[in-house]
Amino acid sequence: MNSEEVVDELASLSLFADLQRPQLRAVAHIFSEESFPPGQRILRQGFQGSGFYVILEGDVTVRIDGEDRAKLSKGDFFGEMSLLLGEPPVADVVAIGELHVLHLAGPDLKGFLERYPPVMFRMLQSVARRLRNANRLRS
Amino acid sequence: MALTTDEKMAWLEHVELFQGLPPDALRRVAERSGEIEFPAAHHIVTQGIIGNGLYIVIAGRARVVKGDQVAAELGPGEFFGELSVIDQMPRLASVIAQEPTTCLALASWDLIAEIERDPKLALNLLRALALRLRAARDEHRH
Repeated sequence: MNSEEVVDELASLSLFADLQRPQLRAVAHIFSEESFPPGQRILRQGFQGSGFYVILEGDVTVRIDGEDRAKLSKGDFFGEMSLLLGEPPVADVVAIGELHVLHLAGPDLKGFLERYPPVMFRMLQSVARRLRNANRLRS
Repeated sequence: MALTTDEKMAWLEHVELFQGLPPDALRRVAERSGEIEFPAAHHIVTQGIIGNGLYIVIAGRARVVKGDQVAAELGPGEFFGELSVIDQMPRLASVIAQEPTTCLALASWDLIAEIERDPKLALNLLRALALRLRAARDEHRH
């Protein structure tokens, strides 16, 4: 993808929906594009996380103790929980097919969010929604 | 107790959610927070009722109850209601005073206004929600 195509892709993702085009260009520079083959493990349960990932294309499965728990698709993101908490991931994240992601190195996530509050707010809403769902499952 | 703004600030700076905030931000939060005293057995918040505020315990003790299960005990310096700040949906749990309990209460909109001014506070809140999420999932698994 050339850089304007990456910007177009970013603009279509809800995490970045509140950013203007110049900010999206800056974001495209901060993240790096990466691709993974099917079956590749991107995060490892119990091991220190390696970064924050936003899915551009493809699907991943979230696997805990060998059991598939959730599927994430375009626009979804992962890796932020263990980075925010400073703890190892509680799940494996594995590419189902060819996977194309944006990657931000772990130590850069907090600074990135502080510089782009609208992205942080979207992430807050996402975590809040997941917290609601986790409680619904239990009760 | 009738705390002064400075006394409220002294409380707030020891609360994890407000760690690392500059003094002027802490002062704004302190000025907007109200002190409320609850008698023993009072429902400070009630599960299923729409929430619009954050509470910080400054004296006494309160119990977090989900359905008929005790989820946690809260004491001075601990806070609850942070999820409602983001989504203003029904409370996930009730919080019941176990003895006469004093809280600082902050309306969602006042906290949101401060979050918009200070990304550090937004990050602290994000971390607090992530902690709750991981705890909820751990509970679910065990």
